[in-house]
Order: sequence, then structure tokens, then C-alpha cells
Amino acid sequence: MLKLLGAMLIVVAGAMIGHIKARRLADRPAQIRRFIRVLQQLETEISYGFTPLPEAMHKLAQQTAEPLSSLFAGITSNLQSSTGLTVKESWEQAVVERWPYTAMQEGEQDIILQLGSSLGTTDREDQLKHLRLASSQLGSMESEAAEEQRRFEKMWRSLGVLGGALIVVMMY
Amino acid sequence: MDVDVNAIFQIAGIGIIIAMIHTVLKQMGKEDMAHWVTLIGFIVVLFMVVRMLDQLFQEIKTIFLFQ
Amino acid sequence: MEIIQIVGLGLIATVLILVIKEQKPIFAFLLATFTGIVIFLFLINQVRIVIQTLELLAEKSNVNTIFLKTILKIIGIAYIAEFGAQIVRDAGQESIASKIELAGKMLILVMAVPIISVIIDTVLKLLPA
Repeated sequence: MLKLLGAMLIVVAGAMIGHIKARRLADRPAQIRRFIRVLQQLETEISYGFTPLPEAMHKLAQQTAEPLSSLFAGITSNLQSSTGLTVKESWEQAVVERWPYTAMQEGEQDIILQLGSSLGTTDREDQLKHLRLASSQLGSMESEAAEEQRRFEKMWRSLGVLGGALIVVMMY
Repeated sequence: MDVDVNAIFQIAGIGIIIAMIHTVLKQMGKEDMAHWVTLIGFIVVLFMVVRMLDQLFQEIKTIFLFQ
Repeated sequence: MEIIQIVGLGLIATVLILVIKEQKPIFAFLLATFTGIVIFLFLINQVRIVIQTLELLAEKSNVNTIFLKTILKIIGIAYIAEFGAQIVRDAGQESIASKIELAGKMLILVMAVPIISVIIDTVLKLLPA
């Protein structure tokens, strides 16, 4: 009886591992889409609102959901801290620090870091152009992520269950 | 006898599950990893069979007076 | 009622083998081998009883034990050779199977030669010079 319980536990654990991997794959395109929307909001703020950068970051942090909101909160606190970092450095530091909590990968991180080096150094027109460039680049990464999700999501789930079942049978 | 019957079901279970994992991995495109998994499963089962074969031959040698 | 157990085991194993055979034939072969070994092991225990009875009879009737030993060894070779040949034949390798059977026959002949020479000696002694 106890053996059966343990066996079911292992299969459930395997299924959950597969489910988590599948969810990571599903989260990636969703988060990229949210980031694109955030960049568009930033675009609006800069071109129409003339808001200074720290305030814009603070607004974005409040308007988005996790994990992006803590990313922008980190940028805000870095900008407002008294250690006198430049915009580029505070952007980079917050991004690198919070990136592992997102489901996004290296490619997107590079795009965002590149964006950070242009914000705060160039004039408004240039910033808007860079924002639009980053948005379109993220758009292509999103379709790539959606394709990956479509192909692998169900696979990981069944792989998780099968792996659990295999371990159970081997340890019988 | 009871242990052996369980082992038969074990081998059958391993075979079926490994076949399914092979198919899933092949559909994902990772065909080489699929072949690795199948090979490892095959080696595990082979060990079980060879162990039982050794037991059989020992018994035969004992009963038919140690050829 | 052990025959029922064995037949049941054989049937279940055959079903499993058929299911696996179309996916991964190699596992089906291993499963068939394993089932054969299990059933054989179960039988060996029963055979042990018969052979012990035979040994007792041979001792009582004052036959030279070397004869009984030879006969038993020959039977053992026959069992093992048939088992191996049938399994290999199952996997489709008919040539290897017939080689195994040939090897069994040769070894049995080799074992039987001393007995045959003893028989011929005895018959020659019985014949009038």
C-alpha cells in the first residue's frame, strides 16, 4: 500500500516537473508581449508626456505586473539612489539582477540592455527611434518563442509523466 | 517465483515506457537523445536478463551434476 | 495447479511481447528470453526431484555411478542446447540456432564415446574367443 502511494507520488512529481517546464515555455511569449506594451507606454510618455526618466520608470513599475514591475522598480531605485550611477548603469544593473526571475532568455536581454545604453544619452527623437527598434526586435523574438511553445509544450508535459513512470517501474 | 513474475512485468513496463519516451523525443526533434535513452533502457534490461540466465545455468550445472 | 500458473504466465508474457514487438522489437526479444528463463527455472526444481529419485535407484541397483552421471550430463546438454537454439530461432537467426544444435549433438557424442567403447569391450568379452 505504502509502495503504491510512493509510486504515485513519484509520477505526480514527474508530471509537475513537466508542467513547470511547459509553463516556462508558455510564459516566455506572454512576457515578451507585455514588455513590448511597456515599451510602447514608455514611447507615449516620452513623446507626449515629456516626463523625466525616473518618473516614467516609476509609473511603469506601478502599472505593470510581476516580474516586470519589480524590474522597473529596481531601475527607479537605482536612478534615485545617491550613488550617482548613470542611466545606462542603473538600467543594466536592474535588468541583470532581475532577469533570472523572468521567463525570457539571452536574446531578449541583449535587446533590452542595448536599449538602456541609448536611453538617457540621446535626445528625444533618437530615444523614440530606439524604442521602436527594440519593440520590433522583441516582436520577432515573440513569434519565435510562440513557435517554440507550440512545438514543445505538450512534449515536456508528457515527458515529465513518462519519466516519473519510468523511475517507478525501475525501482519496483 | 513471485520475484521473477514481478520482474517480467518490470521489464515489460520499462519496454513500453521507453518506447513512448522514444516517440515523444523523436517528435520533439531530439532523435539522438531518444536513441541514448533507448540504449540505456536496453542495457538495464539486458543486465536483468543476463543475471537470471546466470542463475539458470548455475542451477542446471548443480542438478545435472556439474559438467 | 502449477501448470495453470505457468500457462497463465506464458499467456500474459506473450500479450506483453506482442504489444512491445511493434514498438521496440529488441525489448520483445529480451522479454521472451526472460520469460523462458523464469519458466525453465521453475521447472528445474521439479526435475531435481526426479533426478534424485533416479540417483537413489541407481545406487540401490549397483550400477556404476559413472553411467548415471554421463546420462545426466547428456540430458543437461540436450536441455540447454534446445533452450538456446529455440530462443535464438525466435529472434530470427536460424543459422545460429542450427549451429547451437549441432554443437549440442557433437558434445553429446563426445560424452557418449567412452560408454560406447565400454559396451563394445563388454560385448567382445562375451563373444567366444
